[in-house]
Amino acid sequence: MNLFRSEEHITRWLAGRDRGQSIGIAKLSELAHAWWGDRVSPTWQPHTREQNQEILARLELTDAFWQLA
Amino acid sequence: MSLTPTFAIEVRSIAMDDVDIELRNVTYQMFVRAGHAPTAETIATAIGVPADDVLQGWARLHDAHALVLHADGREIRMANPFSAVPTAYRVHAADRWWYANCAWDALGICAALHCDGTIETSCADCGDSITVAVRDERPDDASLLFHCLVPANQWWDDIVFT
Repeated sequence: MNLFRSEEHITRWLAGRDRGQSIGIAKLSELAHAWWGDRVSPTWQPHTREQNQEILARLELTDAFWQLA
Repeated sequence: MSLTPTFAIEVRSIAMDDVDIELRNVTYQMFVRAGHAPTAETIATAIGVPADDVLQGWARLHDAHALVLHADGREIRMANPFSAVPTAYRVHAADRWWYANCAWDALGICAALHCDGTIETSCADCGDSITVAVRDERPDDASLLFHCLVPANQWWDDIVFT
């Protein structure tokens, strides 16, 4: 789960390995704020799989790659 | 505080009881207050239980993916999004430097602390330094790309690699 300058840099870094998925950092920030925003709350409760899948879906991360276990 | 399990909440297929959730929340609070991972002894002293009880609770939280322990099971490796060990993702937020486990977690530290911040890392390919300021939840360089190599249903097969 790394940052890159461009798609060309991702391709070079992969060196022939199967590509995962890439998203822009602005969307990543939206994802991070939805996913981690409650993490240090003194009343934190665990997210269910369905809650986490819904966070991904709200950001249109809906294909098989983003289906949680 | 007793660490006797009481009522269970199901996360994935592994139950996390409300006492373990309280232990997890105390652990996170102490991590953020100190700026580094607490030891089991520190937590034990703070809540008045034997350190072995904390370690057993942490082991259950590790199994439930609520935190990640080192292989010896005695120290915290990750309290996501925070890393207890140095990584390539440094984040300045809330007047402190933190380590994040990955790019997602680096932004997650700003999210978890509800503050602006600055991420320092490098392009994983070319090694060029990358500095990203996060203001009002928005990174200041929208040209950067995040690449996730491992499909979501395999993230916890090896969370350190992921």
